[in-house]
Formats: sequence, structure tokens, C-alpha cells
Amino acid sequence: MTTDEDARTTTPEETEQTMSGTTQDRALLPTATGAECVAALRTMLHGHRLLAVGALTVLVAGTAVGLLTAPLLGRIVDLVVEQRGAQALTVPLVLLIAVAVARGAATAIGGTLVARLGETVLAALREQFIERALRLPLERVEAAGSGDLVSRVTSDVTMIAKSVRQALPEFSRSALTILLTFAGLAVLDWRFLLAALLAAPVQVFSVRWYMRRSSPVYGEHRIATGALQHQLLDSVGGARTVRAFRLGGTHSGLLEERSAAARDLGLRGIHLVSGFFSRLNLAEFIGLAAMLATGFVLVDGGSATIGTATAAALYFHSLFNPINATLYLLDDAQSAGASFARLVGVSALPAEPAPQGADTPVDGSITVSGLSHAYGTGAPVLHEIDLTVRSGERVALVGASGAGKTTLAKVIAGVHEPTSGSIALGGVPVGKLGPAGVRRAVTLISQEVHVFAGPLAEDLRLARPEADDEELRAALAKVGALEWAEALPEGLATVVGEGGHRLTVTQAQHLALARLVLADPPVAILDEATADAGSAGARVLEDAAARALEGRTALVVAHRLPQAATADRVVVLDGGRVVENGTHETLTAAGGHYAELWTAWSATRRHPAEKIPNPATTTESPVSPAA
Amino acid sequence: MPTAVPTGAVVLGRAIRGQRPRVIAASLLGMTHQGCEALVPVVIGVIIDSAVATGSSASLLRWLVVLAALFLVLSTCYRTSARITEGAGEQAAHRLRLELATRVLDPRGGAETNRLPGALTSIATNDARRVGSVATAISYGVSAVAALVISAVALLRISVPLGLLVLLGIPPLLWLGHRISRPLERRSETEQERAAHASGVAADLVAGLRVLKGMGAESAAVARYRTTSQDSLAAALRAARSRAGHEGAVLALTGVFIAVIGLVGAYLAMDGSISVGELVAAVGLAQFLLGPFQLLTYVNAEIAQGRASARRIAEVLASPVTVEGGDAVPADAAAGHLALRGVSLGALRGVDLDLPAGGLTGIVTRDPAAAADLLLCLAREKDPAEGTVELDGVPLTGLDPDALRRAVLVAHHDADLFESTLLDNVRSGADGDTTAVESALAASAADDVARLLPDGVDTLLAERGRSLSGGQRQRVALARALAADRSVLVLHDPTTAVDTVTESRIAHRLREVRRGRTTVLVTTSPALLAVTDRVVVLEDGAVRADGHHNELLAADETYRAAVLA
Repeated sequence: MTTDEDARTTTPEETEQTMSGTTQDRALLPTATGAECVAALRTMLHGHRLLAVGALTVLVAGTAVGLLTAPLLGRIVDLVVEQRGAQALTVPLVLLIAVAVARGAATAIGGTLVARLGETVLAALREQFIERALRLPLERVEAAGSGDLVSRVTSDVTMIAKSVRQALPEFSRSALTILLTFAGLAVLDWRFLLAALLAAPVQVFSVRWYMRRSSPVYGEHRIATGALQHQLLDSVGGARTVRAFRLGGTHSGLLEERSAAARDLGLRGIHLVSGFFSRLNLAEFIGLAAMLATGFVLVDGGSATIGTATAAALYFHSLFNPINATLYLLDDAQSAGASFARLVGVSALPAEPAPQGADTPVDGSITVSGLSHAYGTGAPVLHEIDLTVRSGERVALVGASGAGKTTLAKVIAGVHEPTSGSIALGGVPVGKLGPAGVRRAVTLISQEVHVFAGPLAEDLRLARPEADDEELRAALAKVGALEWAEALPEGLATVVGEGGHRLTVTQAQHLALARLVLADPPVAILDEATADAGSAGARVLEDAAARALEGRTALVVAHRLPQAATADRVVVLDGGRVVENGTHETLTAAGGHYAELWTAWSATRRHPAEKIPNPATTTESPVSPAA
Repeated sequence: MPTAVPTGAVVLGRAIRGQRPRVIAASLLGMTHQGCEALVPVVIGVIIDSAVATGSSASLLRWLVVLAALFLVLSTCYRTSARITEGAGEQAAHRLRLELATRVLDPRGGAETNRLPGALTSIATNDARRVGSVATAISYGVSAVAALVISAVALLRISVPLGLLVLLGIPPLLWLGHRISRPLERRSETEQERAAHASGVAADLVAGLRVLKGMGAESAAVARYRTTSQDSLAAALRAARSRAGHEGAVLALTGVFIAVIGLVGAYLAMDGSISVGELVAAVGLAQFLLGPFQLLTYVNAEIAQGRASARRIAEVLASPVTVEGGDAVPADAAAGHLALRGVSLGALRGVDLDLPAGGLTGIVTRDPAAAADLLLCLAREKDPAEGTVELDGVPLTGLDPDALRRAVLVAHHDADLFESTLLDNVRSGADGDTTAVESALAASAADDVARLLPDGVDTLLAERGRSLSGGQRQRVALARALAADRSVLVLHDPTTAVDTVTESRIAHRLREVRRGRTTVLVTTSPALLAVTDRVVVLEDGAVRADGHHNELLAADETYRAAVLA
């Protein structure tokens, strides 16, 4: 037993930061087969053949030199037994020191080379993975649950990185030491090698015993620690709500349950590891006893010196650590292999279809004809929609929840492939534009706000990477966000998002609008972008949105009717069909569905002293009498 | 909560004392284990001496039996001690997690002030684990010391000069290794942090995938990730170079040290002061001794980390409460008359306000800060800097905060839903009254939400209710607030993301459901204000107008602007 392993068993839950895997019955993203993994690994290593050969050579040389220590010590023993006198010790001593220095140097160089190889391949792997992951059709990601992709990005990449950084160097060194020691034993006398191999059956048995049990236990432990972390975030993040509703007892109970589950699974893992090493102790004893007995017989028979027997015993004694390390790391290797398969599986997914032509939209018009859409095999959400939006026109989509507004917005923005029907942007069918072309032409701002972690300026530059600071400021000023952005602790350089300065919901949506200004697409689609900011924030954002939409074709999913009233045209959806289509004035006058909604809305705003101004008869905007 | 303000040392001490029986048992077993490990090279030496060198097979057999017994004992002791001591660590961490959770969820609050949920979660998981690891490490440390003592005795028995050479040589050797490694380690740590940055950026980009897709910024994101990844790669390579250099240096030093021991041992063996077997044992022990010394270095590092972690835990446990508790408990059926007398806090400047029992009052303010501070006072998440808030004539500061919340519920605009079913979320605040839950679901139109979900009210909601749209989330949160059925209910902007038709339906049903109990609506929504008995307008932190919604609309230009914009 070694101190290394003792230390290792104290942290079996190093991967505690993994996400909880709450994915049930989902179309998970694919996992690569063994053959695909080998092929992928070969491709990745292809450009680094020289490096790989170099690393292996240095490590083999270093290990081989290190193995000279035991025979040199054996030689000293022989010199003592033969009473050769003190001068005879000089040569072995100098050699021992030379071996130590050479071994140290080889370890340093070999370790560096192995790390260079491993880290370079790892970087290529993660870059390739992210490149493909970000270009996956959103539909595919959502079918798998976004947790699937996130957990591959976080826990699988971390798992492989950990293996490359910690396990790979130790594993390669230990494995080489074992192999070369066996070779060394064979050189001393082949019977020593046979004796050493007597331990192998016990080792094979122990490894199988351990691996069969460890994977499920560690898997469960990762899930349990994920669930614990999840519960902590849920309870701690919602502490205010917990207190308001007096749910402290319930949440403490849940936490205790999750924490105890994580603890118990942690203990089961420790039980396994200690049982594993304990079994390996038996292998150590068998091998060592066999080695000593063989030495005894060989010395007795005169075919080996006492020094050789000593060297063989010391060889084997010094193999305890490398053998334990190698066998223990097999488990890590297995996990890393599984993670690798999950990454390669995504990297191998087909890329988005390339555009079928070189056409670019001539203007910002949208032509939708005969469009129907259903999610998966579910009931259709949109039926035979025909809709034309002129370039520069501002159209509001109105309808109750579930009417299909968001789906229509997403289909036009190219997020979903429509089940049937066609869409043309600027006169070009979307098939000819390709997904990338569609996204260049259309920007969709949905209710989901995400502030990208990092400096605020970098967040904005995602929309236009080449923008200079002045352009960023101009975009912020346009949507009225420059004032608060410059008031941040470090202005535009302030680190925002996860782990940085926390922006309010209104500020985050302000940023989304500023990104729209920077991306400057001919068509913009706003889906409930102002809905969740609270009533005071909503008005600020509506003004900002109006400025951001200037000069663009705009499709606005309107939850607040004023958004509809100020649009050039209103399209009312009901049950996935367009039921009304016209200006605010004509529709309110027509007495249909929209008129009903407008009446309900106005009723809440009407006050006895003053008749609500009729937008058909006044030039003043009906929605902002105080503006 | 402990009465004394806990410090890091107190937290650490308590965690270890709580595991005392385990730590002691594991230490005793660990000492035996390490002792046996130390004896293995000694027995190898004895076998070389008394069997291999003499050819006595009886002696070989005898000593192999001894070796077998030695392995049996060391294996059993290792296994048992590892299980006990790791158990101590896990249990200590578990207890700390619960203690932290209790403090954070304490009705008097304060622990989460200026701390992000992620940071608190990391304290409750990583820091608690590190403190637990100290309980584990202690028995390892004790065993290592035992191994040192046993090896020292064995070495000194073989030869005093050789023993002294080994024992006195190892500490400077480790010190030298440490000196070489310390700057490298420090550098390597920062490099590793930078290397870990790549995975953080990746997770963030994937989390914002919809936004990226929405603006077609995939290529920009990929380019950014490549830069980060390459930076991380460079950092990781620098870290690896440092680490490899350190390992090589330590290996070389150790090798030279073993060579010196071998040389001195050989001289001693040549002049007959030790036997060949003793020389073998001495070299073996010198190799073995590096283990316990490294273990002690590791234990030392664990304790240093554990102390830093214990300090962070203590800071959370000792964070001051935001409101002092009172002892009084409001009557079970509080009448529900709330009165603010000259209340000043943040944006509030001397607010005088009566919220009559059983009334439905609207409060309108255009200043979000004033609304927020008002809600803080009413929820007793903060006490006013000046003035008092009274419930049925009793100042809130005299009431137990948790008992107060049995009578008064303040439902914030951004109240969190939890990861459980829709129904469990709604009834979590109700005291087992199912009719209240039913009518709350109907009044908030959350039943419409449930109808659209795959499993109706039994649908599991994602964390924070993220699987719902903003409007759906608001309606479920409103249902929960109504189902709690408190004497006083304060709602802040409960329907901002709900469509107009539904909003006005909710307004009318809300009035029905809350009939006879005090309800306060902090909002500028005209649909909600239209059903109130009375509206109070706050401006510049004080009450500026007071009257019925329609009167105010008619008479007050600013009010009209605030409400009808």
C-alpha cells in the first residue's frame, strides 16, 4: 500500500461539480461506438505522430534507466558479500547517482511531452465538439433536453481533462515501469518473471471485481451529488420564498435526504476502493513470497547470487505502487472512454445543410405560404398559414396563449424546420439561403435572456465581432442602455453574467436589443421580449425595442396590446390559424376577435372623466397619453 | 444555531470532536497498518539473511508464514481504518451541510446577503467536504507518525549511524523538494485555473445557445471559444511543464539519497558492523520512509485547506441576521390591519399608511426601489430605519419573524418556484386545506396552465419553474400565494406577463377569493387596480395621493400617466 492511494481515496467525489442528469425518455444525443472512437482518436493523433513517438521513447528510456537501481543495489550487496573492499563501491555509486539524475531528467521531459500530446488533443477535441454543438439544430438540442448538451460540455470534458492531466502521466509511467520491470526480471532469470506472474490471477480477479461494482456506484454517486447541489441551489437561491411561505422545514428535510444519500453512496465507493486494495494486498504477498522462494531455490542451486535474489525481491517490492496505481486508474480510463464516446458522438452528427444557392435577400420582406407545423408527432400547432410582410413593415402577432404565435416566430426565424409550406426572405426561399443565411437575415429575440459571462463589451461583440468601442456605445445609446452600462463598476469592461456582476432582467433585455442593433439584420422578430420585466420595466423596454426596430422589417409577438396598436398591421392567430389580418383601426372597427381583446384591454384603462381616444380618429397614440 | 459566534477554529474543532470515536479507532488501526508496512522490507531482509544466504528451508518457511501474517494484519487494518476514517469525513461534511442549510434558511435571514447562491452552494459542498477531510486526514497523520517511529526504531537497531543518516536526511530532502516545488505549485495552480476557464466558457455558450441562434452568432461564439481554448491550452502546458519539472527534480533527489544510503550501508556491512540482510532492510526502509513523510506533507496541506474552508463556513454561520427576532406570536386569526407610521428605509421617506383589515388596497409607485423597500418592510426582511410597521396594533419588531409570516405573506414579483409538481408548488404554503388550493388554482388561472401541461397539475416543473413561460410561472406563483390563505397578502406585480383578458379575469376572481381578508396589490396594472377598494400613490418615498382608482384616473394627471402608459 502506498501513500498515493491513501490520499486518493479521500476524494472519490472530485467530479462533484457534475450536473444532475434529469433526462427521462428523451431523444438523447448520440454516443459513438468503440470503432468510431478509435477512428476519431486516430485522426486526432495523426498530426502528432512525431510527438507521440518522442514521448514514448523518452518515457521508455527513463523507466529503463530507473530500473538499473535495483541491480546496482544488488551489485553492492554482492560486492559486500565478496568482501571486495571500499574502492569497488565507487563505480556502482557513481552509476546510481547518474541513474537518479537521468531518470529525473527523463521524467521531466517525458512528462512535458505526454502533457503536450494529451492537452493538444484535448483542446482539439473540445474545440471540435463546441463547434459542432453550437451549430446543432436547436430542435435536436431541445429534443434531447438542454441538460444533455450541458452535461457533455461540463462533466464529460472535465472528466477527460482530469484523465489527461492526472491519470495519463501516472498511468503511462506505471504501465511502462511494470512492463520493463518484468523484462528486467526475465533478464535476471526467467524463473523470477514466472514467480512475479503468480500474482496476476488475483490481480485480474480484483480488477474485475472492482470495475463491475465501481461504475454503477460512482455513477449513482455523481447523480446523488448532482441532486444535492441542485437542491442546494433550489433552496438557497429561493431562500426568500422559502421564508415567505415558511417552507424551511420542508427544504431542510429535502436537503438532509439528498445530503445523506450522497454521503451513503460516497461511503459505498470507499468500501469498494478499500476492498479492492485489500484484495491487491493478497496479490502482493503471493508475488513477494514466490519471488523470495524462487530466489532461495536459485541461490541454493547456484544459478543466482544472493545479490540477484535481493535485486529480484526489491524489484517486486518496488512494483507494489505502480501495479496498484495502474489497476486503480483502469477505472478512470473506462470513465474517460465513456465521456470520449459521448463527445465524439456529437462531433460526428451531420452539419447543417449548406445553402443551395448563392442568392441573398434583396430586401426585408417575408413571404409565408401554406405553412403548417407540428412538434414531433404531436398535433399540428400551425395550419396553412399565409402571411406576407413588406420590407420595413412592423407586424404584431396577437393571440391567446397556445395560439401558435411563438411557433410561427421560431419557424420564420429558422429555429424550426416547418412540417410543410414555404418561407421566403427578401424574395429568396429559405432553403436557398441555408440556416446560416437565414440567421444572417433574421434576428430573433426571445423571452429567454442570457447574459454571456465575461466583459459586457464581449457580450455585445458576439453580435458583431469587428465592432469597436464607439459602435458598441452607439448601439447601447440607441436602446437607452448606455447610461447604466457606463455606470457599471468598470463600464463596458465590467465582467457580467455567471460569476460576474449581476444584471437585472430589464438590463439583460436591454443588452439583447443592443445586440440586435449591432447585428443589424433586415428582419427582426421579437417574442415576448418585454413580457417579464415588471410593469415599469416593460415600458422602458418597449421604447427601446421601438428604437431598435427602426428601419427593419419587424414581427412582434405582442402580449401587451399597446405593442399591437402601434404596429403597422396586426395579425391575429387563433388555434394555429390566421383569423384576422389588418391595421389596428380596421380590426377594432371590424368587431372581431381583436376588437374584443382591445375592448377588454381598454376597459381596464377607461376612466369616467374622459373617453378613451379612438386611434382611428386621433393622431395621438392611444397607448401613451402621457408620453 | 450555536450561541457563541463560531470562528473557523471552532467549526473545525467541532467537526473533529464530533467524530472522535471514529478518529481514534481509525488512528489505532492505521498505526498498525503502517507499522506492518514498515516491517515488510525488514522481513525481506531477514529472509535474505536467514534463509537465502544460509539455505535453511525451515527458516524460509517460518519467515514466509510470518510475512503472510504480516500481510493479513496490514490488509485488514488498512481496509477497516480506511472505511472508518473516510466515514468520519463524510459524516462531518454531512453535518456541516445541514448546519449551513439551517442557517441560510433561518427566518431571520442574513446568510445570503452579498452571497450568490452558487457561492453558498459551493461552501456547503466543497468547503464542507474539505473540513470533513481534516477529520479523515488526522488518522492518516497519526498512522504516518507511527510508521516513522517504527521505521526509526528498526533502523536504529540495525545501525545507529545509518539510522540517524536516514532519519536526519529525509526532512531536508523533503524540504528541498518542497522549496523546488512551491513556486512551481503556485504557478501551476493559477495556470490550472486558467486552463479550467475553457470549460466554463463552453458551458456558458451552450447555456445561451438559444440566444446565440437567435442572432446567428454561432461563428463568433466558436471563434471566441477557440481563442479561450488555445489560451487554456497554453496555460495547461505551462502548468504541465512545471509539474513535470518538479516530479523529475524530486525523483532525482530521492535517487541520489538512496544511493548515499546504499553506499554508507555498504561500508558498514564491509567492516562487519551490519549484516547483508540489514543492509537490504536499511535500503528498503529508506525507500519506504519517503511514503509516511509524503503522507505527512499531504495531511499538512489538507489541514491548511480545511482551515481556510472552515473559516468560510464560519463566516456564513456567523453572518448577522437582517431582522432581530421578537417573541410575540400574532393571534391565529389575525384581523389583519397593517399600519405604517413614519416609515423610512432606503427610498421610503416617512410613509404613513393604513391598510384596513379585510380591505383590498392598491399601491402605485413609479419608483421600483420604493416598491422594493416597502415590500421588504412588510415582509420583515428588513426593519425600517425609522418608524414602525404594526400588525393589529403590535409593532412587527416585537413579533417572531416566522410566526409573523403565518399571518402575513409578501409574494414578490420574482418569487421562485421549486422543482416539484405544479400542485405541490401551489399547496406548499397551504396548511392542508384542499378547497383553498382548488379555488386558488381557478382564481389565478393556473388551472389553464395545468391543462396545457402533459401531466396536468402533476407535471414536474424544472428548477425555478424554467419549464414554464413567464406568464405561466406568474400564474402558478400567484396560485401558491392565494392557496397559502394568509390573513394579510401582499402581491407585487403578479400579472405582468399575463395577457390582458386573463389578467382582468384574474383581477375579479382575486377579489372574490380574498374577500374578508386584507390584500395589498403593489402594481401599476389598471386591470388589477380597478378591482381595489382604494389606491395609495407613493411618490418620492411618501404618500402623495389616496382615493379610488376611477377618481384618481379622473383627477390626477400623473396617476394617469403612471397607470395608463
